[in-house]
Formats: sequence, structure tokens, C-alpha cells
Amino acid sequence: MQKILAITWLTWKAAFRFRLFLVVAVLLLAAVVGLPLVLKDDGTARGFTQILITYTLSVITALLGLSTLWLSCGTLARDIEECQIQVVATKPVARWQIWLGKWLGIVSLNATLLVLSGACVYGLLQWRATRLPAAEQEILRTQVLVARGLAQPPDYNAEIDARTEQLLQERLKQTQISGADLALARQQIREQVKAYFQLVPPQYTREWQINLGFAKNFLRGKPLQLRVKFNTAQIGLSGTFVGQWRVGEPGTANAWYSGPMSLSPNAYHEFEIPADLFDSQGVLTIDFLNANNTTLLFPIADGMAVLYPEGGFTLNFARGLGILFCWMALLAAIGLASASFLSFPVATFFSLALLVVVFSSGTLSDAVANGTITGVNEETGTAGHFIADFVLIPAFQGIVAVVNVVKNFSPIDSLSTGRAISWGELGAAFGQIVLLFGGVISAIGISLFARRELATAQGNQ
Amino acid sequence: MKSRSKKILLLVLAAALLAGSGQMQKVLNRDRAQLDLTRTTPLKSAPPLLAFTTVALGGFRGLISNFLWIRANDLQQAGKYFEMVQLASWITDLEPHYPQVWAFQAWNMAWNISVNFKDFSDRWHWVERGMELLRDEGLRYNPYEPLLYQQLSWIFQSKMGQNMDDANLYYKEQWANEMMPFFGPNGTNFDELIDPQTAGAKARAKLFREKYKMDPVIAKQVDEQWGPLDWRLPEASAIYWAALGLEQAKQHPSKVKQSDLMQLRRSIYQSMLQALYHGRLVINPFDKSYDYYPDLDLVSKLNDAYDTMYAEEPDPGQKDSIKHAQRNFLRDAVYFLYEDNRIAEAAKWFAYLGRNFPNQPILDNDPNSLPSQLTLDQYAVACVQGDVKDIDQNRTLSAVEGLLGRAYYELATGDDNRYAGFKLLANKIYDRYSKQVASFQGQARVGLPPLADVNRTVLNQLLDPQKGLPYAARAVLRTQLRLPPETASTNTSPAAAVSTNLPGTGETNTTSSLAK
Repeated sequence: MQKILAITWLTWKAAFRFRLFLVVAVLLLAAVVGLPLVLKDDGTARGFTQILITYTLSVITALLGLSTLWLSCGTLARDIEECQIQVVATKPVARWQIWLGKWLGIVSLNATLLVLSGACVYGLLQWRATRLPAAEQEILRTQVLVARGLAQPPDYNAEIDARTEQLLQERLKQTQISGADLALARQQIREQVKAYFQLVPPQYTREWQINLGFAKNFLRGKPLQLRVKFNTAQIGLSGTFVGQWRVGEPGTANAWYSGPMSLSPNAYHEFEIPADLFDSQGVLTIDFLNANNTTLLFPIADGMAVLYPEGGFTLNFARGLGILFCWMALLAAIGLASASFLSFPVATFFSLALLVVVFSSGTLSDAVANGTITGVNEETGTAGHFIADFVLIPAFQGIVAVVNVVKNFSPIDSLSTGRAISWGELGAAFGQIVLLFGGVISAIGISLFARRELATAQGNQ
Repeated sequence: MKSRSKKILLLVLAAALLAGSGQMQKVLNRDRAQLDLTRTTPLKSAPPLLAFTTVALGGFRGLISNFLWIRANDLQQAGKYFEMVQLASWITDLEPHYPQVWAFQAWNMAWNISVNFKDFSDRWHWVERGMELLRDEGLRYNPYEPLLYQQLSWIFQSKMGQNMDDANLYYKEQWANEMMPFFGPNGTNFDELIDPQTAGAKARAKLFREKYKMDPVIAKQVDEQWGPLDWRLPEASAIYWAALGLEQAKQHPSKVKQSDLMQLRRSIYQSMLQALYHGRLVINPFDKSYDYYPDLDLVSKLNDAYDTMYAEEPDPGQKDSIKHAQRNFLRDAVYFLYEDNRIAEAAKWFAYLGRNFPNQPILDNDPNSLPSQLTLDQYAVACVQGDVKDIDQNRTLSAVEGLLGRAYYELATGDDNRYAGFKLLANKIYDRYSKQVASFQGQARVGLPPLADVNRTVLNQLLDPQKGLPYAARAVLRTQLRLPPETASTNTSPAAAVSTNLPGTGETNTTSSLAK
């Protein structure tokens, strides 16, 4: 371990020697302090705080990400090209220790910079919040500077599947369906069955029951928030629909009535409901009256949810930074792995190309969904075919699967919307991003570095 | 030459060339404008960042702009709006001379994003952001672009002025609150804004010009040409911006397409029509809420506007639409004038309607209701009941009660003309019904209660301390009707001693006369 730490210390010294630490630290602090001065917000304290969290953390991630790639590619590749590595490699230290020491050095450097800039962002947010009027502060504390958990009604998948199969079998007794038509018929029946769980016809009332689970034990006396979203086939001139809510225990006076509420379709609406409306089992019952002349559809996936205070912003913010740190650790591994077998400029280019692939995962997903890289003819609705599809589409599937695992952790989004980042989520991010992907890439990098003839690089100078 | 001297010389030369190119740029920009080489004008007093992005990024601007559009769209789909103002700012900064970009971003904020919030105050924020994007930035870089004037006018006219958004009254109230310091209780105050004398007046005039980007001199001209308007209401601003767009086009004809100007003219006419319907702001003296009444002083000018619009319109199909709209406007104007007890003017425009549209029915549900077949009284009564032949007992009673209630409300707020107008209308409807059922065998069955009883019922309801009008309104009403003052313990019927003046009719009545 001492040998690894020695290499780590050398990496730190290199970062200071290159002025990298100083430059990145100054840039990060300038971004944190300067961004609030140039950002244009929607005019509300809530909106300003949300955009501040999003943009400052995004800038921190981008700056740290680029500097990480630069340093990780540079520290190893340049050591090899400038023959300094020969001095180190001839010492009684294994190649894997050199590689790991550099990785640890970069990662610890990142951690320091992340803590420094994160603390500035946190301090800025808290300082601004204290200068707001009490009402605005209350909104911030309940909607943004908070860690809110999410509870949703059951997804009814088992019931939907069972009912779909039942109806399909009945259909098959009447009509012979096979092959692709069978899949289509099943899908159509499933949508019909799902509609039963999603639709609220005109002048009808729909009820949802949401089990708050263990959270009920610490939610007594705390107001909750409903988050709802609905779709509709018809949009009138006003663009809004009127609905009324009743939340509380059925058949008791312990209920809250919203009165007519003007809501637009295809958008999330959050509104506060009083405390203690759930029953002793922790089940919250929500009724909605559709007072319009058109049917409203509340999607099962995200049509109805309860947001409840789960913890404080400070720890949540720290966990969010923890996930950003995991990303940086992966980038450091990628940079070092590419520098293990490539020269500095090529390693940098290679690493950046990998990032471009990550950012292009939407395009790759489209190709996978279409089953071809040639695109779909919009007029006929049919996809073309290309011989390379046999190789590329499975490759794209693999890349998209890997990229999605990393991208699914979205701490900036969660922090800006006041959503909780759980310890489990942080643990999963560490396990998947650092240990799994970082481990695999590190293993490849160490393996390549261990086999590399270090002295051959001298001829390039 | 020594290296150091050479470097200094080169630096001096570079500085001189830079200064020279700056001077040359001014000449080029001037020639560009004078010779009409492009429709766009060079950016003036643009922030350094904007000047940099529009020049330095070159063709990459499009790529960055595309990325920002995609992000804005994705965020909007996900219901995350807090970045929208920033993204719109960047997108428009990248394409400052592309008016459709400004128009779309402003429209998106004012119409699409605003309604996604359930709280009216949140919606108002977004309407304001859309308005500001056009007014403060879009027009700054595109001062001759009719589309931007039209879109800005449209926000005032449609989003705020019309009732399609259920928060429209909130918007009107907020705008009125913002305009009140400039225009005071009467909605016009140009002299002070043009030539402020006191420090407070100077500060207000400065704010009016700098924040709201409005020129009181032009506003006064607009008011003289199209008004008188109540400038606390959105319609006045809608007309202002459309008129300003027309004026800019008139001064710089080569920079605009003449076909684009029709939209601006329509904005003016449509806003005037809206102002006719609800362009008079009255602050309720009791609860301080805002009420919106027809602005009947606009009838003549609006009629002229329709004639002008008809003459200017090249499309025959559109000409028919304009005539149709003019007829509808005249029908409404006649009724509103009648309702306001401006009977002589109502008669004048009723006759005008008959002369200009003699072969078209004036009631929607009655194809035989040609102007020559109806009197003004019959028309006004039918406007309330929907059909001159309608003799439904319940509907008639309901209409009479409603009109009487409205009459007393107007009396309480001090609008004697409207009080008299509604009272007259209630009497006419009652009389017409009574005459129509007089020949029926079962008159007792279908007859209405005596008008005095109906009147007493309505008045008792309004003067009820628990369920009636606010205390101050009840007190005014009692004074106007010469009723005894209200006492804490009494809930007595006031009608036993009612006597009142009916302004405009010259009546001094006792209880029985209320049944007239």
C-alpha cells in the first residue's frame, strides 16, 4: 500500500507542477460564483435555485470530467513518452501498483476539488435561501432544498398480464391468430386492459391507494405533496381541464378537498396536501373527479405519486456529489487505460471519442429500436437493411446497455427537483460505475500497461 | 532592426489596423443600411457575449442552437421549466435576426408553459417572460419586424385580453396593478408622462419608458387615433404595439413585407372590439376588485375601423368575413348602448344596422328577425331572452330578477345610467311577457307575480345582512333608495317604505312604482 500511496503522492505533485490543480480550482470557483450573475431564471426563487443547482453542478462535472481525462491521459502517457516511467518501473514496484497509484492520485484529487466546489455551491444555496422572504424560503425548503421520497400506487402488472392472457385466449377460440399478428393482438388487448387502470371518463371519479410503507412512521404531522400527470386526446382553447381532489381516509371526516383546480395535460403538477391524511396502515386514498367533457388518462407509470420528506438536503447533496465522484473515478480509469497503450494525444482523442459515444446513446438507441443503422422511411414506415447491421446492432445494444447503467444515475436532476438520493442508490452507483465498469476497464488498462515495452516509447521522442 | 523594436512596431501596426478596421466597419454598416443590401441590421449596443457569439461562432451557431432546441424540447416534455428562460435566451442570442425564433420562444412561454402551472401567479410569471423576451430583446435587435410587434400585441390581446385562459382575469388584474401608477384612476395620464414636473412623476415617466419600453408621446397619438382607451387594460397595449409596428413599417418600407402588415391592422381592430366589450375598468368601491364594462365611446371609431379594414382587404372571402364581423359588432353595440341607457345612440346604430344590413336577421335563432321587423325595444328584450317569441315563464322571471339585481348593483357602485338601463330593460321584459300571456285562457297559471313583488324579493336578497351585498354596498343602496339605515338586529323588509329616483327616467317612485 505504501508503494501505491507513493505513486499517488507523485501524481499529486505532478498535478501541482502542471498548475492543473490551481487552474481547475480557480475555474470551478469562478463558475460557482459567476454563474448566478449571468443566469436568466423564470423569476421565482424556486426556479432560480433549481437552475443554479443544475448549472453549477453541470459545470463542475464538465470541468472536472475534462480535467480528469486530460490528467489521466497525460500523467501516464507523458511519463512513458518522456521516459520518466523507466525510473519508476525499475524500482521495486509492480506495474499494477503504478497504475493503481496514479488512479488513486487522480481520484483523490477529484475528491478534493469536488468537495471544495460542492461546499461552495452548498454555501451559496444556503446563503441565498436565508435572504429570501419567509414564504419563498418555505417553498424552497419543501420543494427543492429537501430530499423527497416517492411513493406510487401499484403498477397492476400481474393483473394486467393475467387479464390480457385471459382475453387473448378467448379471442383465439373465436379467431385463428399466429406469428406477428399474435404479438400485435396481445399488445392491443394489453392496452385495452391497461386503459381500465388509467382512464377517468367524464364526470366520473377515480380512486388511487398509495401505500407509504415504512415511511408512515416518520410522516406524522408532515404535509405531503401529490404529483400528478394526465393525458387527453382533446385539448380545448383554454388548454386546461378542471378537476377536484379528495384526499383522505374513505368514509371519515379526515379528508382534504381541493376545490376546482385548473390543470393542463401532459405536464407534472405538484401540490401540497395536509398532514396525517393516511390511515393507520399508511395507505393514502386519493379520489379525483373529472369535471370535464373528455376522458382523462393518468398513466400507470407516472400519473400519480406522493412525494414525502425523507431527509435533509445536506446529506442528499453529499450523496449526489458521491455519484458525481463515481463518474469521475470511471473517467480516470478510462483515461489511464487508454494511456496504457496509446500516446498522449491519441489517448486523449480516444477517451473523448468514447465520451461522444456516451452522449450519442440516444442515436444508438434509435438504431437499436429500428433494428438498422440506415433509418426508417417515414413515408412507408419500413426500416431499411444494411449488411453491417448484423454486427453493429448487437454492438450498439451492448453499448447502450452499459451507457444506460451509468446515465441512469442522475444526481443533478434529483437534487434540482428535491428528490431523494438514497444510500442504496449511492451504493449501487459505486458498485456498478466504480467497481464493475471501473474495475473491468482498470483490469484491461493494468493488463495492457503490464505488457507494454516501456522503453520502445523512447524512439518517438 | 532589433527583435524587440520589431515586436513593438508590429504591435503598434496591429493596433492601428484594428482601429482602422473598426472605423471601416462603421462605414460599411452605414452603407449596408443605406443601400438596403440586407434586410437585417447590424447589432447595435449588443452585449459583448452576444456580439461574440454571432460573429465568432460562424456556422457552428446552428449546431449549438439545434442542441439547445433539443434540450429545451426534452425538458419541456419532462415538465422541467426552470431552464426555459435561459435556453430561450441562448437560442435567440444565437439567431438574433431570425424573428420566428423570438416569436416561437415567446409564444411557447406565454401560451404553452404558462398553462402547465395550476397557480395563476406562476402562470403570470411565464406570460410576463414571453412578453419581456419580445419587448425587451426581440424588438431591440429587430426593430422593424412586423411579426414581433404582432406577437407582442397578440399576447396582450389574446392571452390577457380574451378569456381562453381561465387565469385571464388574474392577468388583467396584475397588468392593471402595474399600469395604475402611470395612468391613475381614469386610465389616461399622458400629459404627466410626457412632461413630468415632480420628482415622482419623472421617476414614473422614466420607468414607463425604460421598463415597459413605451413612449408616452406615441401612446397619446395612438389614444387619439384609436381611443379613448383605458391604458390599464391589455387591449390598449395590444393596440399600442401593433400601431408602433405599423409606424416602423411606414418609416422603413424597404425593410418589411407589406403583406405582413395586415396582421398588425387586424390586431388593432380586434383589440378595439375587445375594448368595446370590456375596455372600461371600474374598481369596485366595496371589495376593491376589478370589474370590466363595455367601453361604448369606441363604437363610432370601431365602426370606422371596420369600414377601413373592409376597404384595405384584397381577399373577397376575407371581405365577407369583415362584413359579418361588423354586423355582429353593431348588434352587440346596440344592445350595450341600450343597457347603458344611451337610448338615442342605440337607436342611431340600430337604424344604421338596418340600413347597412337590411336583409340579414339580427337575432341568431330567428331567421325572420330582419331589422325592419323589430323595434329597438323588441331587439333589446330578445337579446336578454334569446328569442322574441319566447314566453317561458321561468326564464322570463329569472331574466327580470337578474336584471333588477344587476340594476341595484350598478346603483350601489354609483353608475346611475346603467342602473336606469337595466331597470328599463327589466320593465320591458315584464311588460312584453304580460302582454303576450294576456290573451291566454290560463293566465293565472302562466302569469308572473306582480313586478313590485319581484322587485321586493330581489331587493330583500341584496340587503340581507347575511347573504346579501357587503355592508358598505347595502348602506349606499339604502341611501340611494331612501330606506332607513340598517340596524344590527333588524333584518326587516325594506320594501315597505321604498322610494327612489330612477335616473334617466325622471321618476320618483314609491314601492308601487317599482313595479312599473
